Amino acid sequence: MTAIAQEREKQTLQQWLKKHGSSVASIGGLLFCAVFFTITTGLKGESIWSASKLSTLIGDVIVTALMAVGAVFIYSLGNMDVSIGKQVGLYSTLLVLIGNATGSLPIAILACLVIAVIIGIINGSAGELLHMYSVISSVVFMMVLSGISTIIYSNLGTRNISMNPGIDLTLFRQPWFMVLVLAVETAVISYFFYFTKFGKYARAIGANQTATSQSGVNIILYRVIPYIFLAVCLVTASLFQMGYTGAASDSTGTGFEMNVMVSLILGGMPLKGGMKSKVACAIIGSLTFSLLAVGLPIIGVPTKMTFLIKAIIFLAVVLITCRQKSGPLPR
Amino acid sequence: MEKEIIFEAKHMRKEFGPTIALKDVDFTLRRGEIRGLVGENGSGKSTIMSIASGMQPATKGEMFYKGQPWKPGSMVEAQDAGISMILQEANTIPGVTVAQNIFSGHEAEFSKFGIISMPKMKKAAQKVLESFGIGHIKAGDLIDQYTFEDRKLVELVRCVTDQTEILVVDETTTALSLEGREILYKLIHKMADQGKAIVFVSHDMDEILEQCTDLTVLRDGDIIGHLTREEMDAPDAVKTIRYMMVGREIGDKYYREDYDTSHGAEVALELQDVSLGKIKHFNLKLHKGEIIGMGGLSGCGMHDIGRIAYGLEKLSGGKVLRNGKEIRTPLQAINSGVGYISKNRDTEALILNGPIQDNIVLPSIPALEKKTFISPRAEKKLSDREIGNYRIKCHGGRQYVNTLSGGNKQKVSFGKWTAKGSEVIIMDCPTRGVDIGVKQAMYTLIEDMKKEGKAILMISEELSELIGMADRLIIMKDFEVTHQVERNPDLKQTDLIEYMI
Repeated sequence: MTAIAQEREKQTLQQWLKKHGSSVASIGGLLFCAVFFTITTGLKGESIWSASKLSTLIGDVIVTALMAVGAVFIYSLGNMDVSIGKQVGLYSTLLVLIGNATGSLPIAILACLVIAVIIGIINGSAGELLHMYSVISSVVFMMVLSGISTIIYSNLGTRNISMNPGIDLTLFRQPWFMVLVLAVETAVISYFFYFTKFGKYARAIGANQTATSQSGVNIILYRVIPYIFLAVCLVTASLFQMGYTGAASDSTGTGFEMNVMVSLILGGMPLKGGMKSKVACAIIGSLTFSLLAVGLPIIGVPTKMTFLIKAIIFLAVVLITCRQKSGPLPR
Repeated sequence: MEKEIIFEAKHMRKEFGPTIALKDVDFTLRRGEIRGLVGENGSGKSTIMSIASGMQPATKGEMFYKGQPWKPGSMVEAQDAGISMILQEANTIPGVTVAQNIFSGHEAEFSKFGIISMPKMKKAAQKVLESFGIGHIKAGDLIDQYTFEDRKLVELVRCVTDQTEILVVDETTTALSLEGREILYKLIHKMADQGKAIVFVSHDMDEILEQCTDLTVLRDGDIIGHLTREEMDAPDAVKTIRYMMVGREIGDKYYREDYDTSHGAEVALELQDVSLGKIKHFNLKLHKGEIIGMGGLSGCGMHDIGRIAYGLEKLSGGKVLRNGKEIRTPLQAINSGVGYISKNRDTEALILNGPIQDNIVLPSIPALEKKTFISPRAEKKLSDREIGNYRIKCHGGRQYVNTLSGGNKQKVSFGKWTAKGSEVIIMDCPTRGVDIGVKQAMYTLIEDMKKEGKAILMISEELSELIGMADRLIIMKDFEVTHQVERNPDLKQTDLIEYMI
């Protein structure tokens, strides 16, 4: 090969890496974790792919993945929502309360969906109408939901409630059902995200709101709709969260918003949103996140250390994918 | 006698990855020169001086400044040594005062025991502003409250000091108002008289021919030729220079050649008694197949008229009508067949960080939608059609807009509206920062649009293109119409300027 051809090949590779760097890092991260834990857990004699561990893994990944897939829309706008955990807490509580009161899970789900859509509209439009950063309005919203949850539980005089044993929740503990629901949700969200105006406008708004507005897009409307998608996905996640134990408490969902954020970033989601946002980021990130959560204890890392290790991995991925690179551009 | 050489570059080469911006360039600059640098986008004209002023290093070659080898490590180093460059993009620091901008990096001059005396700095800054003839800018004000044009002048004040030996003006004039340009022209001539050197990078041929003492033409990273003042005064100089820049005969046809101002009888867009801020009771009727040109200084209100016509502003009175229906929002404008190309191409007209295809189809999405589904094939077809029609230089619709040259970016913003099939197109500074080759293509395109019966409102700060293209010309000053004139062969810029200033 001539020197020029070699040079050209090197440059093509560099350009390709520049364009796909974050996908390479996120998929590479997932593959690394998978290979690493396959080998190390194998050596410890308890493979991460054994039936029992696999079911733990799926149980761990499902709630985060269902939430993260819904949050893709929000992050593509360049927004962030810290009320996710409290929403899951409230929906889980409502599922139990309404389910117990009516004796029917479908009615509880339907009622929860209606409430979720209303909450989504308020959550999405608050920041827009009051001209606040979306993250700030979601902090306010998180506090409001905390307040509501506290009132509910203090009125009930308990800190946790269980679903009436008459309502069968075994389906929500089946790994195959978890995978099926996640697949369906991902397919539906992908359809709306890639093949309808909702996703196209959300990404365009994230990339340049002014230009999108001047192209005739109603910014407020298409900034609010993503929150409705999120709310519906959060109800789905709440079903599995509550279904796993058959109960809900005043601390259900605490910190989930951070799991969603870490998962999306691990999956290569650009924090500024825009055209490079992908649904796959949610799945890849949640899988990596759960592999770490399940794999680290098996290889003997004390639970107290797992947070630190997760933080280091998170930092490494952020440094590779999210950092701003600047310099004079060729003109 | 030849004047003393102040700067010299030998065998300068610059590569950006696979792109070669400068091949092997020798460039000499003498004291007292106002050297014009012209060339199409990507010819390397900005690159030479960005290397000389420390913005980026050369890949190969050597430089000499005042007879000594020259290798600046940063723009600050170059500026301290006397080479200053005013850039195309906005370069002021937001959130602080004008005075802090002017003296950024020189705060020590105003400080005692580590505490800066703001009144002292403000006073000194105001003095400098006055000396440049821009006393209307107040040193104590926040920089953010000034317009882009004024901020550019502040930048000029910051860059030019008594120590400046070489001033590089890179496409700055497109960002300046006419008064701003006059201030800049006066300054560079004064500096040249003092034996300093000026390098003037510009797309505006008239300006280059008026202001420069020498001219260097670049094409594809090579210096193609050099013209002296005498050669620039030759009768067919413009044609020669254009030929050198483009490398082929682009023909005599540049603007429209006909003087036929006839157009359809039907009114395509009407502004009825509109008022907004200082604009009071403005009226305009744009007909099918008509090009109305609007000219004036940049703050005269003409850009606001464009925004009003597109429904971007909340009016305090009057209305905008299309086919008898009122337009209040951009969405209503688009649905009734009106398109708008903002003068701020990179921030308002385009999603730079997005593919060409997504930009082109964005306004057409509702039309492509079938029961919520938008077919990727239909999107690609529409976008490929526009890429083909405008001959946008790209690898395909998935290429990001921020990788395109200025002219091709502008073609994408035109493509958005032709893809949508807009019947009325409001274009604000449509050829800003675009090469002559592309400009020529755009003028032909605008002429074709007229022939197809489209109505065009062309707002521009370049009088020559308005005279060259419009059926009717409206001149504004201080938010009022001061002059209206029909297209005619005898119309000259000088006849119009008096109504602008």
